[in-house]
This record gives sequence, structure tokens and C-alpha cells, in this order.
Amino acid sequence: MKNIIKALIFVLIFFIIFNYVFKILWLDDNPLKRFYKEPKDSLDVIYIGSSNAYVHFNTVLAWNRYGYTTGLLSHDSQSFASTKLLIEEAEKYQSPYVYVIDLALSINELDSFEEAQIRRTTDAMNFTNNRIQMINKLLSYINVTSINEKIGYYFSFLKYHNRWKNVNRESFLGRDDLFKGFYYCKFTNGIESHDSYVWKNNVTKIEEENKEVLLDLLEYIKLNNLNVLFVIPKRIFKDEDQYKLNDVINIIKDNNMEVINFNTLQDLNIDFSHDLYNAAHLNLYGSTKYTLYFSKYLETKYNLPDHREDSTYNSWNDEYNRFKQIYKSINNKEYDELLDSYDY
Amino acid sequence: MSLISFSFLLFCIITILIYFIVPKKFQWIILLISSICFLFYKNLNIYTIIQSLIVLLSSYSFGILIEKFRNEKKSKIFLLIGIFIILAQLIYLKYTNVFLRSFNLIFSLFNIKYRFILLSNKPVLIGISYYSLIMISYLIDIYRRACESQKNIFKCALFMSYFPILTSGPFIRYDNIKDKLYSQHKFNYSLMCKGLIRILWGLFKVIVISQRLGYFVDTVYGNIYTYIGFYIVIATLFFTLQLYTNFSGSIDIIMGISEIFGIDLPENFRAPFFSKTITEFWRNWHITLGAWLKDYIFYPLLKSNFIQALTHKCKNKFGKKIGKKIPLYICLFIMWILIGIWHGGDYTFIIGSGILQFVFILIEDIFGTIIIKINDKLGINMKTFSYKLYQVIRTYLLFSFAMIFFRADSVINALETIRFMFVWNPWILFDHTSLYAAGLDRYDFGVLIISLVALFIVDIGIKKFDSVRDKLLQQNIVFRWGVIYLLLFVIIIFGCYGVDYNPSSFIYRQF
Repeated sequence: MKNIIKALIFVLIFFIIFNYVFKILWLDDNPLKRFYKEPKDSLDVIYIGSSNAYVHFNTVLAWNRYGYTTGLLSHDSQSFASTKLLIEEAEKYQSPYVYVIDLALSINELDSFEEAQIRRTTDAMNFTNNRIQMINKLLSYINVTSINEKIGYYFSFLKYHNRWKNVNRESFLGRDDLFKGFYYCKFTNGIESHDSYVWKNNVTKIEEENKEVLLDLLEYIKLNNLNVLFVIPKRIFKDEDQYKLNDVINIIKDNNMEVINFNTLQDLNIDFSHDLYNAAHLNLYGSTKYTLYFSKYLETKYNLPDHREDSTYNSWNDEYNRFKQIYKSINNKEYDELLDSYDY
Repeated sequence: MSLISFSFLLFCIITILIYFIVPKKFQWIILLISSICFLFYKNLNIYTIIQSLIVLLSSYSFGILIEKFRNEKKSKIFLLIGIFIILAQLIYLKYTNVFLRSFNLIFSLFNIKYRFILLSNKPVLIGISYYSLIMISYLIDIYRRACESQKNIFKCALFMSYFPILTSGPFIRYDNIKDKLYSQHKFNYSLMCKGLIRILWGLFKVIVISQRLGYFVDTVYGNIYTYIGFYIVIATLFFTLQLYTNFSGSIDIIMGISEIFGIDLPENFRAPFFSKTITEFWRNWHITLGAWLKDYIFYPLLKSNFIQALTHKCKNKFGKKIGKKIPLYICLFIMWILIGIWHGGDYTFIIGSGILQFVFILIEDIFGTIIIKINDKLGINMKTFSYKLYQVIRTYLLFSFAMIFFRADSVINALETIRFMFVWNPWILFDHTSLYAAGLDRYDFGVLIISLVALFIVDIGIKKFDSVRDKLLQQNIVFRWGVIYLLLFVIIIFGCYGVDYNPSSFIYRQF
């Protein structure tokens, strides 16, 4: 008995150290990982999508304006096929008023996602059955079936243990450029003017595999009676992608669900020559406009609560203030000045 | 199944769990089943089944026959038939193409146009060299009355295929292992701890040191026209360490697993790099192979009628002292050629781990006394630390030089490597960039140096105390656990395994 207790203590200490060491070694702090840090049932909105979600929607600004909280289940090039399982994952920890689902990558071929893109999502998830399912699902699209290949996805340390050469201050303290998941693109990269960019109404059928994923998601939403708002982010899409997204919009509308295509909304007032970071992302000016417009819409439509007077939500105030300070240190002016220049 | 793989880890955990859960009388059956699974893992076909049955049935049946007719001449005939069958299969499967290539080379030297067609590669069972020699020694031991034959064919099959030893040895003897192999074992916590520590140490050697050294060695030896001079010198010195850490590390893993089952295996290494001569080196390197060859080849050969007659003739012709040595050297030469053949049979192995080792030992034997006399006259004290250090370094350098052939793809390639080794470019050691351009960056070098120092300290401990583990386990729990956690996390963090690394291969597995 004494030996069993000793062995159990040994294993327990091992896992405590392992957990800490692995957190340091896996430098890739990201919005999805931050999601798990929020207290249970503390998020009012959950925004799921690729980088458009966490670069476009300023969660701390929405908080400051309306007092509701937004969690981001989002990562670069996040496969749309992961959406359903991410909602399942979110439901374990949160009971949001609404899910916002970004459709930008809903048309991408499912076998076009590479290892790094899959890993960004799966590695960030807690080790649960959902994560295993997610790995199996996403890998099945790229024909990875052998257990020896999958094992590196199940146990991320097999991939990241060799990152000891890159350990630095951030590894211990976390990234300081994420604000409740939101990341802002600081500079405008001189995107050419896209005055002629107009959303086209042609329709091209999406791939059968993509349609299956979408229908499966819609079915799941209906079955669980969830409030979901689909969005097509404001950015530049190729013509062919626009045609496919129009098909996606039609499928969703046929299922009696709401889709907002921000590319056809004039009120948003995005100026591509000023507000774009690159063709696919808004910069801080663009994301501020987008957030001011969309956060108001969400607050009005879903009657979201205001927690600003609740001290248990102090971390949201802290993060907003930290964001303003960082903004000031980089842009040499108050964030409020930028807000004052917009009228939403 | 690689020793460094998820499948092997799972396989061992399942086997150990079942081994200690089932009634103790069935433990050996569990070992047999797991050994069969290991033996045929991803290699189950008619060829491999026949290969294993040939060795099993011939050693089992001839073992019984040798014992039955012990006092008759038939006994020797059965022994010879048994050895012939096992050896013939081994030679056919592993060395036919080596011989055919040799004949073709001879034909080409004599401008003969005929060429043998090489045999296509047939699937060969893992560990065939090990279990073939083990079963030959089994038959000889029965013949010599050193042990009784095993009447239960399944127990005989377990002795032949005991899975921990199939990848890299060590050579086991039936008489030494039978009691442990078939007896009942209670779960022993301290044995399990000892076994796990040994496995960890083995993993440290293989995946932290050996694999890392391998990146440098592979880069340099794969591009000897680019990486010349000191690159080759360092790669050659590294390769010897790579070989040692890879082989002894895998033996540590094997012995640790076997220890958990309660089955002790014979030691195969005893800090060989502290040896002062090549002769001493080989007494500490692959100990069980050396012992096997001595007991079953060298001494029988030395006592054979032919060698005895030759000794007699040589004594008459060259005098007692030299006359005694000539047959001894002939037997030694044969033994070293066999060691070279066992290591793979190619000329590179025959030269690197055979002929050159023989030459070094010969020189040591012939000039040993002369050097002592010269040192005496020059007043050099051979008992000082500095002289012993010189001897240790000399042994390491000689062995490393021979390993150029062992590592090279061909004899020509080895000679080219030696030629390019003598290009003078010492600046690569000092310019802060060149050395880091051959597969290992400065961080890897840092890990390597610290790991080698740790290895060096532990090997000193082994030399001094025989078992460093026992010393560690005598310490208080905080220190003990601290060392184990440190080892664990060094392996987890700095080990060359996982997604971005190639699966660890064991240099000795192919034998």
C-alpha cells in the first residue's frame, strides 16, 4: 500500500511538472487557448471562425461599449469543419446568448488544410473526447489514417518538445498582444484602392463535402435550439469565392437562419485604401469600425446583459485599459481620439 | 517494432500488466505469446514462419537426441547436423549475397565475365543472428553436459524468442537463464523501480545523445567532399560515441524491461571507453558476443587436432615461445573475421570490426613488452594518471579509426574518408559558425556536451561501484526523485523523437 501511494505521488508530481513545462514549451498562445481561461458561464457571445474573427472583432471594445463579453474560438485558417465540434466544446463551459459563426472559410476545400492549420485548432483544445474527434475528423479529410501519424496530434508534446531552443520571456508570461483573444493588425500595408470592388450575386454550387459539413452544422444547431448568427466578414474575396459564398448564404437562409454579409452593407463604411491590413484582414481602423457597428447590432438584437458594474468581470476592464495603453504607446495618441472620429 | 516507438511502449505495458495479473504458473506462457507477437509483428508470412520453425524444431529435436545418445558417437553427429541446419539457414538468409558479391568481385579482378545473380530480398525475421547463435550454443551446451535439454517445445520456443533480446542482444545461455525464464515471479516494486531507472538511462543514451550525434555524423559522412578535415575527425570520434550510446542504450532498455519481469540478463557493456588497450576494450564491449565466440569458436578451435598439430610443428620450427603464438594468432584471426562477418558480412564490417581490431590486438601483444622496456629505460612511469589517460585516449582513437570502415558505405568510401580527413582546416573549430553547419547548432552542441559529461560520470561510477543505480536508490527520497525527474524531463524535452524527428533506428538492430 505504501508503495502504491508513493507511486501515485510520483506520477502526480510528474504530471504537475509536465503540465508546467509543456505550457512553457508550447509558445503558441492564441485566442482559442485563452477561451479556456474564462470562468464558467461568463461569456455572452461566442465568435467562431478563422483569423477574421479574432482580428476583426475587438472583444474589449465591445465590452467597453455595451458591457457584454465575447469569447473567441478562433485561429488562423481554422477549418470550417471544426465548427460543430467547437460549439460542442464551448457548450461544456459556457452558455452564450448567441454564437457568431464566420463563413469566410466555409468554401475552402476540406483537403486543402495543412498540418499547421489543423494543429492550431486541435493543439489548443483541452484533452477531451472532443479533441480526439476533431483530430480524427480533420485528418480524415487529408487522408491521414495511420495511428503513428495521428499520435503526434493526440499528444502535442511529441511535436513541441523540441521547441526548447525558442523559450523566451513570452513562453513564461504569455503573449501581451492578445486582448481577451482580440489581436489587432497595427499597420496598413498600402493596399491598393479597391473602389471597383463590388460583391457579385452570381452563384456557384459549393463542393458536396463542404455542403455536407454545413448541413450537418445546421442540423446540429436546430437540434440543440441554439441562437446562431452567420457572418461573411468584410474583406476582399475572389469572384469565384463570392459565387460560392452566395450558395452558402442561400443554403443557410433556406434553413431559416440569419446571415449577414458585411460586404453588401454600406453602413459599415469601410474604406479599403485605409482600413485593410491585407486583402483578407482589416487593420485596427477597420476592426474598430466593424466592432462599433457589429457590437451594437448584437446588443440590440439579442438583448445582451451589461456586466460593467459587476466586479467579477474586472479582468475585462483591465484588458480594455491595457489595450488602450498599448495603442497609445504604439500610435502616440489616445484610443478615444480614434473612437471620436467615428460615428456609429 | 522499434524500441523507441509508441507501439513498443504500449506492447510492453500490456505485457507487463498481463504478466503480473495472470496466475504465476502462466507467466512464461504470456512471455511466449508476447515474444511471438513481437517476432512476427508486421512480418508474418510463410517465409518467416518457416525460418523460425527450422531453428526451433532443429534445436528442440536435436537437443533431445544429443542428450539421449550422450555416450554414443551419434550424439556428435546430431550436434553437427543441428548446427549445420541452423547455420546453413543463417548463412543463406544473411550472407549469400555477400558471398556472391565477393565471387563476382574476384571474377572481375581476373577478367572472368561470369557473374552470379544476387538473390532477391526475402523477408527475414528480426533477431535471426541472435537466436540462431543462441540455439547453437544451446545444442553445444547439451553436448558438453553443461545443461539438460528442454522437453517442452513451447518453453524451448520461449528461450529462443524471448522478446527483449531479439533486437540487440545480449547473448543468453540456457543454463544461466532457464530458472528465471520459467519460474514464477511475484511483482516486486523495487525491481520495477530499478528496471524503470535503467530504461530511462537507456532512453537518455539513445534519444538524447545517440540520435543527436547521428545528425552530425550523417551530415558529414553523407557529404565527405564538402565536410572535410576536422569535420571528418569530429564525426569519426562522434560515430564511436553514437555507436556506444545507441547500442548500450538499447541494451539498458532491454535489461530494464527484463528486470521488471524478474529475469536478469547478462551485462553487455562495462564502461569500455576507460579501457587502456583494445584487448581490454573488447572485454568491456559487447561482452556476451565476445564470450560466446571464445567459448564456442576460439577455445574449441585452439584445442582442435589441427591447431594442436600446428602448434607442435611451429614449436619445433620457431622455438617454444614464438611457436606457441603462431597458432594462437591464427585462431584469433579466424575469430575476428567471424566477428566482422557477424556484424554484417560486408568488407567494411570485416575490416572495421574484424581485421583492424585483430591487427591492433596483435600489435599490442607483440610490442607490449617492448614498449614496457622502452618506457623503463626512458624513465616513464606507466602507473601515473597521465600515462593511463594517454592509453585510454589512444584506445579510443584506434577504435574510432577502425569505425571509419564500419560506418562507410564501401571500402573505397572509407579510404576516401581517411584521405579527406587529413585536410588541414582547424579554423572550423574556432570561427563560431562552421561547426554548427553540419547538422547540430550551438544549442544541440550544448546539450550534447552536458549529456556526455553525465554519461562520463555515470560510467566512472559503473567502473567504481559496479551499479550506480544501487547507489542512487540508497539516497533519500528527495534526491532520488529529483534525479529521476531530471532524467525524465531531459529525455522528454531534449530527446530527438516525435513528429519532427525520424524514428530512432538502432544501429545494431540489423544484426
